[in-house]
Amino acid sequence: MSLSDIWDVLVLGVVLGSLYAVIAIGYTLVYGVLQLLNFAHSEVFMAGGFGGVIALTIFEPTADPSGIQSVVYILLGITAGAALGGFVAFGLEKAAYLPLRRRNAPRLVFLITAIGASFFLYNLAGKLFGRYPIPMPSMYENRRLFTVFGAPVSVTQFLIVVVGVLMLVTVDFVVNRTKLGSGIRAVAQDPEVASLMGVNIDRVVSRTFVLGGLMGGAAGFLFGTNLQVDYTMGFLPGITAFSAAVLGGIGNVRGAMLGGLTLGIVESFTVEIWGDAWRYVGGFAALVLVLMLRPTGILGERVGRAA
Amino acid sequence: MLSKTIVRLAIPVAAGALVLTGCGGDEGGGGTTYKIAYQGPLSGQNVGLGENMQNGIQLAINEANDSGDYDFEIEYVPADDQGSETQATTAAQSAIDDQDVMAVVGPAFSGPANISAPLYGEAGLAAVSTSATNPTLTEQGFPTFLRAVPNDSAQGAGMAEFLAAEGVGSVVVVDDVSPYGEGLADVAEAGLSEAGVTVERQSIPADTVDYSNAARNIVESGAEALIYAGYYEALAPFATRLSEAGFEGIGVSGDGSNDDELINLASDAVEGWYLTCPCTDATQEESTQAFAERYEEEFGIPPGTYSAESYDVTNMIIEQIAGLNGDVSRESVHEALAGAEYEGLTKTFSFDEQGEFTQQAIFMYQIEGGEIGYVGAIEELVGG
Repeated sequence: MSLSDIWDVLVLGVVLGSLYAVIAIGYTLVYGVLQLLNFAHSEVFMAGGFGGVIALTIFEPTADPSGIQSVVYILLGITAGAALGGFVAFGLEKAAYLPLRRRNAPRLVFLITAIGASFFLYNLAGKLFGRYPIPMPSMYENRRLFTVFGAPVSVTQFLIVVVGVLMLVTVDFVVNRTKLGSGIRAVAQDPEVASLMGVNIDRVVSRTFVLGGLMGGAAGFLFGTNLQVDYTMGFLPGITAFSAAVLGGIGNVRGAMLGGLTLGIVESFTVEIWGDAWRYVGGFAALVLVLMLRPTGILGERVGRAA
Repeated sequence: MLSKTIVRLAIPVAAGALVLTGCGGDEGGGGTTYKIAYQGPLSGQNVGLGENMQNGIQLAINEANDSGDYDFEIEYVPADDQGSETQATTAAQSAIDDQDVMAVVGPAFSGPANISAPLYGEAGLAAVSTSATNPTLTEQGFPTFLRAVPNDSAQGAGMAEFLAAEGVGSVVVVDDVSPYGEGLADVAEAGLSEAGVTVERQSIPADTVDYSNAARNIVESGAEALIYAGYYEALAPFATRLSEAGFEGIGVSGDGSNDDELINLASDAVEGWYLTCPCTDATQEESTQAFAERYEEEFGIPPGTYSAESYDVTNMIIEQIAGLNGDVSRESVHEALAGAEYEGLTKTFSFDEQGEFTQQAIFMYQIEGGEIGYVGAIEELVGG
C-alpha cells in the first residue's frame, strides 16, 4: 500500500467513522442516563433517512441547482431528518419507556421493549413507505471538491464530515456547558440525588432522547444521501454504532465519538487489505481486542464521570 | 436491530402454531378447485422481482378461469419467502400444508430454493422455478425441482463470451456473497480465464454500508470491465460510487439487476451498463406483445423480468392438470410436468432427467437513455 493509498483509505474511514460517531452518540447518551441499551435507536436513524426523503419530495430540488440552492436543500434535508429522528425518539420514550419507568420495571423488560419497538418501527416504515429502497433526491452534483494529500473528497463526503463534526461539537457543548447538560450528567451520576437536588428526571430523560434522536436523524439523512433509504437501513449501521459506543466506553460522549471514528477507520483499512467480505470481522476484532485490554472501553464508562 | 434474530426464531414458532390450528379446509364438493402456489419475495428488498412473477402467474390463472375451457377452477396461493433463506422453510411449508396446492411456481431465488426444494421433494409437490438460476440446484437430485430457465452457467458463460468478443483485457468480477451471485460469478470468472482475459475476483456482501473502498479499488486497478453478480438494490449504490470514482469501463450485470428499479435508484450512474438475462423482453418480442398489453391493462405497469416466463409456466401447469382428466394428484402433476413439452409465448419448455431446462439461450440488454433496451441474443451478438 503506497502513501497515497493510505490517505485515500483514511479519508474513506473518517467519513464512515463520522457517521458511526454521530449515531453512537444516541446510544451512549441514553445509556448514560438510563443504563438502557436503546436498540430502537437504529430505527430513529432510519426515520431520519425517510424524513429527508419526505422533505425533498415535497420541496423537489430543481434539475440544475445553483450552489446556494444546493445548500438550502441540504439544510432542509438535514433539518427534516433531524426533526423526524427527534420526534420518533421523543415518541419512543413517551410510549415505550416512560410507562416502564413509572412502574419501576426490571432492566430486562426495557431491553425487550427496545427490541420490540425496533421491530415495530421498521415494519411500520416498510408499511408506510413500501419495501423498495428509495433514492435520496439529488440535491447537488456529487463532484470532487478538493483533495487531502492526493486523496479525493467528494461533496457528500465533505458534507458528512463537516455536519458530523459540527454535531459532535454541539453535543459536547450541550452536555458539558449547559443547564440541560448538568441535568444529564447529574442524572447519569445518581438519579436519586439528582431528583432530590431538584432535577426533573422525566424532563431530562425525554430531552436526552430528543438530543440523541436529532443526531441519529441527521445521520440517517446523510447516510441515505450516500447510499439509499429503505426500511431496514438502520440495522447494520445501528449495530456498528452501538459497538462504537461500547468501544469508546458506553455512556461516555467523547468515547462514542472516538469509538465511531476508530471503527470507521479500522473497517476502511480492513476492506482495503482483505476485501469487503471482511469488513465487520476487522471492526469487531478491534472491539474485542480493546475490551480485553480495557473492559470499560477506550475512555471508560458513564457520562457523569468522563464529562 | 436485534429484532432480526428474534424474528428468525419467532416466525417458525408462530407459523407452526398457525399450521396446527389452521389445517382442515374444505375438501371436494361442487366444482373442483386446484391451487397453484408461488414462492418468492413478496415483501422485503427484492419485492420488485417477486411481484413481476406474481403478476404473470395471476394473469395466467385469471385468464384460465375466465376462458371456460376447463371444468375446474384454479386458485392462487402466495408463499412469501422474502427472497431469504431464513424464510424459505416457512414459505415452503405453508404451500405444502395446503393439500389443494398441486404445483408451485418458484422458489424464485436460488438461496431459498436450496432449502425449500428438499421439502417439496418430500411432499411430492412439483416446484417449477422460472428464476432460480444457481447451476448446482439441479445437480443435487431434488426429486420434484424443475428449472424453467437457463441456469447461471449459461448466463455467466454468456457474459464472458460477450466481454471476450468486445476485446476486453482485464475484468473485475464482483459477487454479492449470495448463492445466486457466487454461482454466477464463478462461471463468469472461469469463462473469462479460459478466454485469456485477466480476471480479479471480489466479494462484497449485499448489505455493505459503504461501497467507496471497493469502487476506488476497481478504478485504481484499471480494469476495463466489471461484472456484478447480484441484485439491483445493491448494484445501484455500487454503480453510483463507481461512476463518482471515475470508472469508465464496461459494466455488466445479470438478471438479478435487470429491473427498472435499478435505473430509478442509480439514474445516470448505470447508463450504458449491460444486463444479461435468460428472459426475453415481453414488450419487445413479437410473440409476447399481446401478452404485454393484457398485462399492462390488468396491473397498470408493463411486464418486468420473468413476468412472461412465469405466465408461461403457470399455463403449462394448468394444461398438464387439464390433461390428467381428473386424475389429479401432486405426484401425477409432477410426472406430467417433468415429461411435458410446452410451447409457451417466450420459448418451448421441457426438462431433462435432472429437471434442468433443455434450452439455454441468453439475451443481452443495455441501459440507454434511462431505459433498459433490448440488444438481442448473445449467441447472435458474439457470432455476428
